[in-house]
Amino acid sequence: MTEFLQQVVSGLASGGIYGSLALAVVLIYRSTGVVNFAQGEMATLSAFVCWTFMDHGVAFWPAFALTLVLSFFGGVAVETVFVRPVQGAPTLAIVILTIGLLIMVNGLTTWIWGGAAKPFDGPFSTEPIDVGGVRFSKQDLGVIVVSLIVIALMWLLFSRTKLGLGLRAAAVNPIESRLVGVRVAWMLALGWGLAAVLGAVAGVMAAPSLFLDPNMMQTVLLYAFAAAVLGGMDSPVGAVVGGLLLGVLLNLVGTYIDWVGGQLRLATALAVILVVLLVRPAGLFGRQAVQRV
Amino acid sequence: MKKLAALIVLLACAPVALASSSATPGVSAKEVVVGSSGPLSGEAAAAAGVLRGAEAYFKYVNGRGGVNGRKITFKYLDDAYDPSKTVENVRQLIQQDQVFALFGVVGTNSNLAIRDFTNAAKVPVVFSQSGATTFGKDYVKYPYTIGYLPPYAEEAEIYAKHILATNPKKAKIAVLYQSDDYGKDLLAGLRRGLGSKNAELLVKAVGYDPTTSDVQSQVADLKASGANTFMVFAFGKFAIQAVVYANKLGWKPSLYINDVASATAIMQLMPQSTVQGAISIAFGKDPATPKWANDPGTKLAGQIIKKYVPGGNPKDGFLIAGMASAYSFADALKKAGKNLTREGLMKAVTNMNEPANPFLLPGIKVHTTPKFRFPVTQVSLQRWQKGHWVLFGGLQSARP
Amino acid sequence: MRPTLAAKWVAVVAGTAIVIALPFVVSQFRAVQLATVAVYFIAIVGLDILTGYSGQISLGHGALMAVGGYTTGILMTHHGWPDLATIPVAALVGGAVGVAVGIPALRLHGLYLALATFGVAVALPTILKKFDHFTGGSTGLSLFSHLTGHGVGVTILGHRLTNNDWLYALTWSIAIPLFLLAWWLVSSAFGRSIRAVRDNELAAAASGVNRATYKVAAFGVSAAYAGVAGALYAVVSTFVNPDTFPITLSLYLLVGAVVGGYGSIWGAALGALLIQFLDDIVDVLPGIDPKQAGPRTFFFGAVLVVVMIVLPLLTRLTNRVYTRS
Repeated sequence: MTEFLQQVVSGLASGGIYGSLALAVVLIYRSTGVVNFAQGEMATLSAFVCWTFMDHGVAFWPAFALTLVLSFFGGVAVETVFVRPVQGAPTLAIVILTIGLLIMVNGLTTWIWGGAAKPFDGPFSTEPIDVGGVRFSKQDLGVIVVSLIVIALMWLLFSRTKLGLGLRAAAVNPIESRLVGVRVAWMLALGWGLAAVLGAVAGVMAAPSLFLDPNMMQTVLLYAFAAAVLGGMDSPVGAVVGGLLLGVLLNLVGTYIDWVGGQLRLATALAVILVVLLVRPAGLFGRQAVQRV
Repeated sequence: MKKLAALIVLLACAPVALASSSATPGVSAKEVVVGSSGPLSGEAAAAAGVLRGAEAYFKYVNGRGGVNGRKITFKYLDDAYDPSKTVENVRQLIQQDQVFALFGVVGTNSNLAIRDFTNAAKVPVVFSQSGATTFGKDYVKYPYTIGYLPPYAEEAEIYAKHILATNPKKAKIAVLYQSDDYGKDLLAGLRRGLGSKNAELLVKAVGYDPTTSDVQSQVADLKASGANTFMVFAFGKFAIQAVVYANKLGWKPSLYINDVASATAIMQLMPQSTVQGAISIAFGKDPATPKWANDPGTKLAGQIIKKYVPGGNPKDGFLIAGMASAYSFADALKKAGKNLTREGLMKAVTNMNEPANPFLLPGIKVHTTPKFRFPVTQVSLQRWQKGHWVLFGGLQSARP
Repeated sequence: MRPTLAAKWVAVVAGTAIVIALPFVVSQFRAVQLATVAVYFIAIVGLDILTGYSGQISLGHGALMAVGGYTTGILMTHHGWPDLATIPVAALVGGAVGVAVGIPALRLHGLYLALATFGVAVALPTILKKFDHFTGGSTGLSLFSHLTGHGVGVTILGHRLTNNDWLYALTWSIAIPLFLLAWWLVSSAFGRSIRAVRDNELAAAASGVNRATYKVAAFGVSAAYAGVAGALYAVVSTFVNPDTFPITLSLYLLVGAVVGGYGSIWGAALGALLIQFLDDIVDVLPGIDPKQAGPRTFFFGAVLVVVMIVLPLLTRLTNRVYTRS
């Protein structure tokens, strides 16, 4: 029983990371209708930026804050420079563009910081806390708490503020939104900027345990997609819940089904994506899309 | 139309090569060109340090006149640990860059991928960076390939023997291994070393794929088996993660860390309370081990790194490992003589008798014969104490 | 300014002539590089059919190549087949897998299909490693001893060909007929139907086009091409291993398909050349150290990004992709 709980708890911890990246993916999807395949690489880049600040002597929290600000502007810049020009193009074209960005950002990160993994000193200690035989670290707890805070802020933004309303309107119906005075172009840029901030949070939270290297988020991206699909592509709550569920599921399947073992985690995530998309594409919390004829 | 234009452009750029008229490719009066391939990027990028270390050593040798009057030009390419890229790189090095030989190709799978065609083309692939037994054993079929590192299987056997000698009745062993040839060789060697007690003492072995992001779940699984001895047959960040997670879970087993992950720089990233007393092997002089702080070989390495590896860390074990094999390679080149041929190199490489490689532990002899092709087969056990490695037990044999 | 039919024929004839002539003027090493270009070319043509002409985006084309590559590998090492005989089998197996994938893919649109195929490509290496009894696991399969010519050379009709020239001849003599086949397919009723389905599924259905059949068929054809490409890739590399078909291969094939004319088979050669030679081009830029992987990857991505932004603005050849919003 203890082992079961242990796997659940450490699954929640890794699930927290998947959920935060999934949040970023969902945010862009909700506000611009696009799946950003470069989200993971952008998060890695942000983590490297944070590391660079710390390498130059800046303490964690100020470095983190600076990174978030820079990431915001980075996200806005990416949208304005790269995504805006292909506005109106079909989904296929924008997906390919984000893949180009994925490759480009990965190359940039390798170019600047090199390929070798670097240790990353997180803000939370890794010393264990023991609760009834089950152990986790403050770091795990920190990741989960930070993710939950961020999702709460996001929820507030989207549902309680005028800005959030504008973001949602611009995504659903840009033409009519413009008519009522929503500055659609700025909304789209804002969406990407906020997503970049979320990605930065995910990257910085992940780096202490995954170790910082240019390919850090490559597999996490797949887990994030699985989490977003599981939770519903247009639901921020779904993204985080999906992430936590996925983390636990991967651990339990890996531990209790010997054939899967430690080697088929990615395949399990793939299976989740396929099953959800084929059986209930809206995921757990998403809205079923009705196709109008 | 684009297709046409593109092909014309390519045609204009394509070099026209005449058949090489010199008897031995890559060799001229003043130069010998040597090639390699390794993971300069990707998950194994830390291992590329051996290539940089070797490069630095060759530059040092060149600075002192080279070998038999020839400067060594060392050209290496990135394969991101993808064996098909290694094949591509090595094809390019042989066919376009006309290298004399390949040296220090990194990675078991990478070396396996190129073995067939390099032997068919009779190009030496010397002192490859892999401990897989096959590179020393299968020389009848592959006479032009030879490894360097002590075999992984034998390394694990040494650990097994240590367990049998120190804790034969109560040891319960759990293994985390990378699920490729390197990890599996270690696991197989461990099983062999435990012999008849294998089933009784080895309670759980869990593999992981190097493309995975972390090994938390596997470590928790291993802890749950009730083991009190943990074999970490993992590489780089996974080894660190393994110990970090063990610590987090409050598990304090006896630790055995495989050589590839035992560099001091890596060990220092692990929680020291858990890693105290961990056992590994060594065959090179780890510059961070206090015993070698004033050793002339280590000092030389430090000077070479300072001069020829911009931004290099003089305490990086991979750099030193690269220098050790480069020293042996330069040694072989010298023995092959002024009239340098590929056959001559292979003859030198299979008749090594090097008693004092400055970068290897004193007493280790780099020794090969045409029928025994494992250059380094002596290692020492070491124990991690208070932030650094302490050797103990003298040199052990890792002869297959 | 769409190329006329005559212009297309001229391009094909001229292209074939160049392909035949090249080995006599380029170095041996270039010959084997161009053999790899042929492999990418075949794969990209297949991807063009799927993504360009039938509108189903696939980020997992490398995985379909792996199917062909491993079919060849397994037949050669476990059953002793000669390499040439495995190629048609790789095509069939690839095609069958394509059809099997195409059926559930019917339920996935656009983004979701991209996500699913992305997942397949990322997870595939680990799956291949798991079934190590067939696939040789992470060690892979060495094909060398079963290759025609044993990697040294081949004699055809009295002429002795070096190994590299043999590979060049083998790959291009398959690539060109496959290209002609593809051309025929996309100009035929089949091609018109899949384009109709791509552009407007409802209208196509109303006109009596069975969207399911055509979409699945397109997947099957595309996968058969990928299977052949994978088989040839294995033969050229002499080695097959789960890491030879990583996610980057799938992504680069997509880059090649897009850059070479946004999904039109007429640009496939350009795309293939780009994948193979961009590294060499980047190495020549000032300040770039060829040992660094970062700059090459960066420019690869940058090329794709620039093409995606600039191409639609410049040419109207790509009109067909913008017929719906």
